[in-house]
Amino acid sequence: MAKRIAIIEDEAAIRENYSAAFRREGYGVDAFDAREPALNAFETRLPDLVVIDVNLRDDIEGGFELCRELRARSSDLPIIFLTARDSEFDAVSGLRLGADDYLTKDISLPHLMARIAALFRRLDAMQKPQAADSSIKRGDLAIDTERMTVHWRDEAVGLTLTEFWLVHVMARYPGHVKNRQQLMDAAQAVLDDNTITSHIKRIRRKFVAIDADFDAIETVYGMGYRWLSD
Amino acid sequence: MTLKRQLLLVSLLALLLPWAGCEFIRETESALRSGQQQMLAGTARALAGTIATHADEYPDQIVDSEPAEQLFIHPLSTEPTIDGFFDDWLISARSLRSIGGRDGQIQFAMASYGRMTYLYVNVPDHSVVYATDQTMILDDGPRYADRVTLISSNPPYLEEQFIFSAEAPGSIISYKQSGIVNNPEPAIAAHWQDGPLGYRLEAQIPTELLGTNLGLVISDTNNSSQRATRSSSFSGQSPAPAVVASKGLNTAVDSLAQSGMRILITDASGWRIAIGGELSAATISESPEDGWSNRIYDMLVEGGEASASAEPDPSGREQQLYVSAALAGGEKASWFRGEDSGRAIVAVAAPVMNGNEVLGALVVQMGTDAILSSTNEGLARLINLTLIATLLVAGTLIGYASWLSRRIRHLSVAAENALLNETLHTALPSALAVDEIGDLSRRFSHVLQQLGDNNAYLRSLASKLSHELRTPLAIVTSSLENLEHETQSDASAGYTARAREGADRLRRILSAMSEASRVEELMEHAEPEAFDLRVVLESTVKAYRDVYKKRSFELDCALYEASMTGSPELLIQMLDKLVDNAVDFSATDDCIQLGLEEQERRLLLSVTNPGPPLPSNMRTQLFDSMVSVRGGENTRHLGLGLYIAKLIAEGHGGSISADNVAGGVCFSVQLPNQDSR
Repeated sequence: MAKRIAIIEDEAAIRENYSAAFRREGYGVDAFDAREPALNAFETRLPDLVVIDVNLRDDIEGGFELCRELRARSSDLPIIFLTARDSEFDAVSGLRLGADDYLTKDISLPHLMARIAALFRRLDAMQKPQAADSSIKRGDLAIDTERMTVHWRDEAVGLTLTEFWLVHVMARYPGHVKNRQQLMDAAQAVLDDNTITSHIKRIRRKFVAIDADFDAIETVYGMGYRWLSD
Repeated sequence: MTLKRQLLLVSLLALLLPWAGCEFIRETESALRSGQQQMLAGTARALAGTIATHADEYPDQIVDSEPAEQLFIHPLSTEPTIDGFFDDWLISARSLRSIGGRDGQIQFAMASYGRMTYLYVNVPDHSVVYATDQTMILDDGPRYADRVTLISSNPPYLEEQFIFSAEAPGSIISYKQSGIVNNPEPAIAAHWQDGPLGYRLEAQIPTELLGTNLGLVISDTNNSSQRATRSSSFSGQSPAPAVVASKGLNTAVDSLAQSGMRILITDASGWRIAIGGELSAATISESPEDGWSNRIYDMLVEGGEASASAEPDPSGREQQLYVSAALAGGEKASWFRGEDSGRAIVAVAAPVMNGNEVLGALVVQMGTDAILSSTNEGLARLINLTLIATLLVAGTLIGYASWLSRRIRHLSVAAENALLNETLHTALPSALAVDEIGDLSRRFSHVLQQLGDNNAYLRSLASKLSHELRTPLAIVTSSLENLEHETQSDASAGYTARAREGADRLRRILSAMSEASRVEELMEHAEPEAFDLRVVLESTVKAYRDVYKKRSFELDCALYEASMTGSPELLIQMLDKLVDNAVDFSATDDCIQLGLEEQERRLLLSVTNPGPPLPSNMRTQLFDSMVSVRGGENTRHLGLGLYIAKLIAEGHGGSISADNVAGGVCFSVQLPNQDSR
């Protein structure tokens, strides 16, 4: 059965374009232009993945509201924010509400599709028993590439998809400096310096929350970042 | 010209006040004076009429003798001692007459006191020859001595000579020669005194021994065998009549003179034969209690002749113009003003007529104290008041002008500071004032506020625009991406590809536009960390060498450690902008120099590139949002790079500046080091 993606977007042209792209990839699409009709529809059936715009016409923070309500109903429903709002504050707010990714509308369709596919893959992997060969161990770090989860000292680190890809690309070859382009390719996104900096900061913070002495991600000024392995 | 100077000039107009006051005083004074002159003229006419009745008291008219050759007998107020000294005569040294002598100017004077006539002669003489021998007294050789001869005659009777010749200095015996008879005259007391320059003779002669005509002859010889050189007070054969004060006239004048009035009577030649009355003391000496106002008063009023010329002439002959005019038969007024006392003396000379003959002149003099007491006091107060008023007005105006110009200066400085520091919403000075400066201040603040709002709008314009444009761009991009999945002809695929390229470029522009606001946001939320700028710089320069292969990079850092606090990522971003800029403005294979040094406890980071200099008018605007000095062909720059660099520098408590250096441009960033932060 085809996965169903719900898209809540007030801008008809974008909604149609994305819907068309999703359908082309073989997904079922439910498109909504506001929060209320979407919620009403979700009463009967939850989609497999939700793409939400933060601004829903006059409902300026409608996307956030919707995310909160959806997360309340299902803890593992993948939710992606797709918005024109690129401020750091909004991104943090969105992710704190439990979204799996916060994307700006800059993102290209192929990149978006890659993410959606990855999220579905993770969802599938979660339901399967853990495959031993899919894990990478680097000292205290354990990466499950199938489930896209990261553990530090056996404790799960809650990373978004982008963050997971960034950690993955760095930790795969510890000691190698990954520059911006490499990080961007890995994260399936177009990121500028500031966005990468923000991401790395957020990743570090998440690790530090588990281990106050965490310093495995080194900044190589002017070059990029690298994973330090003991 | 500053406002203060302008108002000071205007305030000078207030000086018209005392000027008008002075004019008023001057007018009043001169009116009062001329009134007094007229009054005095009337008095003088009346007195002249009275005096004319004493015509017999006047000496006879001398037609054939020169008035200047007449000897004047000064009336003395005390009896002098016969000792060869003139001091005790108590008359001015200017009373001495001079005649040319062999060894210099001989000075002499005659005077009378009581029944005695006095003679004083001061003879310069290099060699005094004493009459050591009796025979030398007579002036007929063969031996000669220095001597003084008083010639007295009572025409038409014979001439007599009183001879003073010394055997030795001290009291001497004088001789009276009448015809060929020469006898000592014991009634005459004389004293001969030698001095370094000559000798002095003082003699006391009973008046009854003397005739009406008197003359003086001084004989001077260098040695006893040489005939003496004669110096004479008269030029003719016989002496002219001596001028003696008239007792009768003096008595008359004394009785006629009112208080504060002086009356002089001269004969037809101007010789003073009577004097009476005194000018009031205030006319002569200053009254001390109102000194300075009087001085101002005296400065203001019209000056006359010096008051000294109003005094009786020491020589005894009155020769002032107004006296001469009276002697010529006309009445004439004059007035005098003392240089030190300043009080004016009004004088009128009237002829004393006997029929058609001018017997002499009568001079009436009076101090203007009457005027002064009426005008000076009031007018001095007027001067005081107007002067005080003027000073007050001028002072107030100057103070007011200073205050005004200070306010305006403060306002302009504050406005300029607000512009420079971009604190455009601060209150300006004088904002609460209700006058025009207050209006100006309020209008200034209003303009500045609008400017500030405008600036803020401009600053946010880029990010707002990019935000607004992002949605339509997403429509375009997603449509194109969908389109690429449709079957297309080669042509339409080409168009789609081009449209994609355009949209891509648009996206890059939009993200550049929102970069500034993202940097601001990052800086707000950044957690400052301590780091070594030197390490960051070294690592970054290494990266630049990889990225910009067509430029060489040189890092000049003498510091061992450059620790500071902040966000290294942002500083690198700032450095990226500066280096990007440096690369753009330099040519292939140019060397871009980066420097880091410590100056006055601040870190100074510089990026220098060879290339064209900055236009001077853009030097400060360079760091503003959406300002670019690049040529039109380079479209990928929106003029945000340096603005972001500035944001980052200032966000770290530093500053950024651009300067032209020899053959290139140097951007420097000042950053606080860790210690000073």
